[in-house]
Amino acid sequence: MKHSFIALIEDKCTSCMLCVRECPAWCISLDSHTIDVTEEGARRPRKVNVLDSFEIDYSLCMYCGVCIDVCPFDALAWDEHRALVTTNREDMLLGIVELGPSGSS
Amino acid sequence: MAVTRYALTSDPSVSVEVVSASLACCTLEVQAALNSGALIQVPESDAGPSVIVIAGTVTDALVPSVIELIHAHPGSKVMSFGACATSGGPYWDSPPVSKGIDQFVEVAAYVAGCPPRPDAFIQAIQELLSKRVS
Repeated sequence: MKHSFIALIEDKCTSCMLCVRECPAWCISLDSHTIDVTEEGARRPRKVNVLDSFEIDYSLCMYCGVCIDVCPFDALAWDEHRALVTTNREDMLLGIVELGPSGSS
Repeated sequence: MAVTRYALTSDPSVSVEVVSASLACCTLEVQAALNSGALIQVPESDAGPSVIVIAGTVTDALVPSVIELIHAHPGSKVMSFGACATSGGPYWDSPPVSKGIDQFVEVAAYVAGCPPRPDAFIQAIQELLSKRVS
């Protein structure tokens, strides 16, 4: 597997912040909010995190894979995107959509 | 400072002058790319653009030298190769390291990675050449 891109599988992310805290370059930022989910028969609503934004700053990323290793839900994975070459530094900040795995789009 | 002219093996009609500023470990990837076979060395000529590759950590002490190098090659394009040159990379919170060379000079291409893979260098050269051609 080429270490050429780190993809986010949005459905698996629980906004636990482990990747954000463990990243040695501090290149991941994450924002989320909590909602109450009421299930039938449950005694009280369940708290569920909803991912609002997830960004990897590829101008800082070291491609070390620590975020992939620490993710308990396998929401981050190596991916076969082409290497990232941009003419603009802002284009290196990739959000949820751009980080989607290459097979999905 | 090594100045050598290279052409794409797949399209030798366009060549590019590569000035590699070897500041840190990213240089190894640039050397690997230059010797990978995807680029061939061609004789010196005045035709074609010139690319200055800033590969590695640019400390504050090095900034004047980097600016001097870029000004010594007027009209050339600057490639920020790797996280350090682009944003300070893993040293972004280190006081003596500059947080990206785009604070001082205009950058034509940023290459992500720490280090970027050699094929990322080839890809960046291709993109710089295609912009020149079109």
